[in-house]
Amino acid sequence: MPGIFINGEPVDTGEHRTVLQVALANGFYVPHFCWHPELSIVGNCRVCLVEQEGRGVGIACNMPVYEGLSIQTDSEPVRVQRKAMLEFILLNHPVDCGICDKAGECTLQDYHYTYNGETARSHDPKLRSTKFFPLSERIILDNERCILCSRCVRFTREISKSNVLGMEQRGDSMLVRPVEDRTLDDDPYSDNVIDICPVGALLSCSFQYQARVWYLEPTPSVCPGCARGCTVNLWHRKPEWRLNALDRRENTRILRVTPLENPRVNGPWICNKGRDLGALIDRPRADRALLKGRRVSTKEAIDAARELILEAKSAVALVSSWGSNEELRAFRNALGDTFTCFVKSDSEPAENEVVEDDLLIRADKNPNTRGAQSLFGTDAPKFAEDTDLILIWGEGVDFGSLPRGVTVLFLGYWLLPENGHAEVFIPISVQTERRGHYTNFEGVVSAFEPCQPRPDGVIDAETLFPLLAAPPGSPA
Amino acid sequence: MKHLIPEFERLKARLPPGHDATLLVPCLRRIQEDRGYIENSDIDGLVEYLGVPRIQIEEVLSFYGMLRRAPIGRWHLQVCRNVSCSMRGAERLLGQLTDKLGIGPGETTPDGRFTLSTVECLGSCGTAPVVMVNEAYHENLSVADIDALIERLD
Repeated sequence: MPGIFINGEPVDTGEHRTVLQVALANGFYVPHFCWHPELSIVGNCRVCLVEQEGRGVGIACNMPVYEGLSIQTDSEPVRVQRKAMLEFILLNHPVDCGICDKAGECTLQDYHYTYNGETARSHDPKLRSTKFFPLSERIILDNERCILCSRCVRFTREISKSNVLGMEQRGDSMLVRPVEDRTLDDDPYSDNVIDICPVGALLSCSFQYQARVWYLEPTPSVCPGCARGCTVNLWHRKPEWRLNALDRRENTRILRVTPLENPRVNGPWICNKGRDLGALIDRPRADRALLKGRRVSTKEAIDAARELILEAKSAVALVSSWGSNEELRAFRNALGDTFTCFVKSDSEPAENEVVEDDLLIRADKNPNTRGAQSLFGTDAPKFAEDTDLILIWGEGVDFGSLPRGVTVLFLGYWLLPENGHAEVFIPISVQTERRGHYTNFEGVVSAFEPCQPRPDGVIDAETLFPLLAAPPGSPA
Repeated sequence: MKHLIPEFERLKARLPPGHDATLLVPCLRRIQEDRGYIENSDIDGLVEYLGVPRIQIEEVLSFYGMLRRAPIGRWHLQVCRNVSCSMRGAERLLGQLTDKLGIGPGETTPDGRFTLSTVECLGSCGTAPVVMVNEAYHENLSVADIDALIERLD
């Protein structure tokens, strides 16, 4: 652990081996495009310039630390050369921030304002290149905006290992291109290249032209797509920027999902399935309780359910592996003795989905199987001969597979035909409408926060379970 | 490409283990020398033989102008047009070749005899202007020389 000096202050380098890492870890910001903590060092953007006393200006990302090294991050030579580098990088950049989805969170934009800020001096017309080049069904590439940092290329080589992207041609004509025989569609982690792109060259098709990022805010959440439980940010409009025109739902719609960096679970990455979380939650919601298919108030439905539970001789509960730890505990405390409880798998792998790999994706497509099984055991659901009531919490049960003649009490989220087939159906809140915690397959507990209002007529499962345990006629 | 593998094996023996990807450029050059250009089957063969991802081979092929993906004419005329050659009349040579053969740089005559290319410095500025015909240098050329040269090539 050599001690070095940055801007005259002694700094402990810790485990870090390069000047850039040490500087960032100690609060000295050094601008950088091509360097990324999870990727190899290429040193091709030449923006992370620092002055090494006695040896001149060099790139910090590839500068090893040694005892007594003295670094200046913002000296006059650094400022001059950094400004020149930014001028080079912007030489053929279209500067079309006004129509670029990255504007507002673009490092090139930020660095230009911070370290250069001057208009272009070149009189030559800018080079034109491909725009809207489709890299996959999900990603388009704007080659004019690309600064050739090669982060996306290194991502497909070092992290997702799909080896789809490469840099073709050379010099001015250099382009990021996919390999001839495949596309990025084969890469289940492809959308991460959109996040790591320091400029607006790689764009998400689903987010394109949807919103300016400064009108959005993130809510921390957990991806329920598999047992990994990656932490994510759900982006939606800031309350102060509510739209009064258009569809009111636009104000709460999840416009994009990005990883929330978490070294214990997912690092800075998530898979493409996690990116589509918005569509999963944007399905038609059930917002009215049903009694034998007839719409009733939640209070009536709860009372009817209490009667059923009271009358049942042998009751089985299929507990959701999508329930939060709080809800699962509430269920066990309120109804754990009344029901024989089994944990069910709410969600199975889809047809074209990557079932499991060695990066993030797990075969169990439920977020809280471990949390549920720690309370209710690991036995597969089975029904005794005399079972007369089955409580189904959440998705994943084919009503046709249940024993004939049993009464079904169904707690669900979505507007589905089987809601009317249950004796009593009570709509409960989805993940984005409540807070809670999931325990992932390794035992790491992650929290999620609400970002959407709970529709009228929908009740939180955590509130519902104690109400169901109360005798009929109690207040609900 | 398969019949060249014994040669590649000899190259491989000269490298420390685990550096097979280093052989990419020598292998591509040898394949081109053998067939005249690089086919898709060669790329597939190298992916298998060197264990290099296909995209890296495509990158190398597009980076180096000297590596070709399509067959060319029997005689490959490469005209240097860097500073020394241009000052000594390379543009005139190129104009003469274009007129005489009826093709522009990067094109091949319909009879498959000639392919015309322009290249960066051939490293023979002292004897500019230079035209490289297949592997041979033709130096200090005048327009008359180039006419005579074309006549000699069948």
